[in-house]
Amino acid sequence: MVEAQQAYRKILERIRVAGRDPELDGRRVLDRAAGLLAGRVGCRVAEAHVQLTQLAAEQGRDAHEVAAGVLATLESRAAPTVGGPRAAIDEVLRPLRLNTTGPRGTGPVSEPPGGVPVQLVQQVLDSIPGAVAWLAPTRDDAGTVTDYVMAAVSADAVDIAGRSGTQLVGITLSTAYPATAEGPLWQAYEEVLTTGEPRDVGPITYQGHGEGIPAESQISVRARRLGSGLLVTWVRHDDEARYAERVARTERLGNLGWGEWDLVSGDIYWSDQLYRIYDRDPALGPARNDEYAALTLPEDRPLHTDAAAAFARGEAVDITYRLRLNGEVRHLRTVADAVRDAAGQPLRIYGIVQDVTARETARARLADVERQLREQEETLRAEHRLAADLQHIILPIPKEPIDLPGLRVAVRYLPAEQASRVGGDWFHAAPAPDGGILLAVGDVAGHGLAAATTMAQLRHALAALALTTTGEPAELLTQLNKLMCAGQSAATATAVIARYDPLSRQLTWAQAGHPAPLRASRGVTTPMPRPPGMLLGAVPDAEYGTATTTLELQDILLFYTDGLVEHRDHSLAEGLAPVITTLDAVSKRRPEDQPLAALLAQLPPANPNDDTCVVAVRPVP
Amino acid sequence: MQREPMPADPPAPEAGEPVSIMAGQGDVLDVALHGEIDYTNADLVGDRACHAIERDGPAVVRMDLAGVTFVDSSGIGVLVRVMKAARQAGAQYRVDGTTAPVYGQLQMTGLTDLFPVQEPPATAAASA
Repeated sequence: MVEAQQAYRKILERIRVAGRDPELDGRRVLDRAAGLLAGRVGCRVAEAHVQLTQLAAEQGRDAHEVAAGVLATLESRAAPTVGGPRAAIDEVLRPLRLNTTGPRGTGPVSEPPGGVPVQLVQQVLDSIPGAVAWLAPTRDDAGTVTDYVMAAVSADAVDIAGRSGTQLVGITLSTAYPATAEGPLWQAYEEVLTTGEPRDVGPITYQGHGEGIPAESQISVRARRLGSGLLVTWVRHDDEARYAERVARTERLGNLGWGEWDLVSGDIYWSDQLYRIYDRDPALGPARNDEYAALTLPEDRPLHTDAAAAFARGEAVDITYRLRLNGEVRHLRTVADAVRDAAGQPLRIYGIVQDVTARETARARLADVERQLREQEETLRAEHRLAADLQHIILPIPKEPIDLPGLRVAVRYLPAEQASRVGGDWFHAAPAPDGGILLAVGDVAGHGLAAATTMAQLRHALAALALTTTGEPAELLTQLNKLMCAGQSAATATAVIARYDPLSRQLTWAQAGHPAPLRASRGVTTPMPRPPGMLLGAVPDAEYGTATTTLELQDILLFYTDGLVEHRDHSLAEGLAPVITTLDAVSKRRPEDQPLAALLAQLPPANPNDDTCVVAVRPVP
Repeated sequence: MQREPMPADPPAPEAGEPVSIMAGQGDVLDVALHGEIDYTNADLVGDRACHAIERDGPAVVRMDLAGVTFVDSSGIGVLVRVMKAARQAGAQYRVDGTTAPVYGQLQMTGLTDLFPVQEPPATAAASA
């Protein structure tokens, strides 16, 4: 102690000399300040040196700068107030020791008596930037810490309620920040007091109460022991956090600006981009409410009214509205929220404004395309309905098997499931003028109205030809082919036409590129051997062969279009197999046990992508 | 199975395009079809092939079905339509590169009797 005092006096002397030296360099300022400090607080000069360097590092400042501040304080203010340096030193050094007492075993450090050391700390704190407070613990009789008093506070310190500097001195933590009492922060303080180990706490969330205090703030606190008290520095993160979030949103959304409105001070801030979005000269400052309202399209004003109401309820605002700027309409999205006090009263409003004109334009274009698509779909649906109606008109399908002379006929017709794919499958089963029965199944290539139209032509032509010209299947196909080739359309079609003579049970048939009918006889099903013949509509001079066979009473003939067996995923033979299996089973039974309608129901489901027409016939006595 | 000399490297069809057309050697128009030829793309295929025939006036129109996995009745129809266009332009017409199922369909519709159709490998081997 005596040593230190002597050292200090020496330094003091040097300071007096050096103080007159205007060329005093930074290093010497630091030395001088360290010496002065060591003298005042009773530590070694090296320790004071380290302290100053650390303090500077913590504050991100130059050590010389900090030292100069300390010097200025100690020389200009401390010395005069305490009377001569000697007296000051003697008083100062007694109670306060800067990190010179051992961390443990020395027992609780006694409270600094009187205001002098506190005053000294205050002087030091006055000279440094940032939020720093020196807390003096108050203890009960048992020595337990019950509260902390803010004994000295830096000039820059502003607390959560907006109190600053000297306003804070003398206030206890339990009254100033009731939310921290007995909390983790206090726990940390006590540990620092006990162990002497500095502690960093946070970021922690501080729950504010009372007017003018944000309901929630994020703070980080650093505490280190200084004498018998705690030197505490703190940083509030809410400003930082909000800034970081704002930047992140800026990056994410792009082309946006932000603005802030401090309701307490009335200050309004616009970012550069916000001025750009509004085409406004920054020199003019932020737009006034009336200027702003004049730009908004009248039909969008209710949006603002609604948003204002939501904001008053404490909700964040997110609206997209239109402005007319320099004759063009701009779509702006505004997201706004407020920092509020515990009662929910806004203290500061901040908002992000994004120019979403491009997006809105694209959206409008998309809506346009979607509308066109819907119209097109509607047209397709209408066409499908028309095709189905047409098919129904031309081709009424009997629900029950029909009995013709010597022949029972059942028909299953399944239009394609999907709209616009109703095609041109058709059938014919009617007595001919010569006493025979004319049977036909056909398939016009393609789908939709065009195919249905061709189908109608073929069917009507067949009926007409059968009545007026010929009952011979090959001749009928020859005529139909000429008809197809004569037309302007490049349509093609396939068909089977058969003529059954009920007296002789003879079946004469011909085909134009069409699958052969299946004949099921006593449990054995085979395609009937096909006579030659190519599809209709290819060449006008195509020739068609004829095949003849005699049916037995238990036989079943199945005429079909390729929807029954054709599938993208398997071959015709694979598609045919289950049909043959069904026919095999049914044809084993006696004729009276093989109702045709039931047979048709048992056939495998048709290709849902194609029309399917199946005609089953059986001779009857 | 005589075939016109193939161009060294037929261009790869563009993804999703059902048809690619190129002038081959010796006045041959090569019309290569790809994927499923059905009612959804038959009109497009027919339009392109017929246009190329009108434009080039080839001596031979060769349909290459090697890349075709499926044809429906509209696909069969378009082979007939292009055949008509080729004959009208005085060109020979033939179909190459059929797979067994497609060849079966051409037989079924009688088209193998109407213009030369290259048999698929398995069928060719069986008939050899």
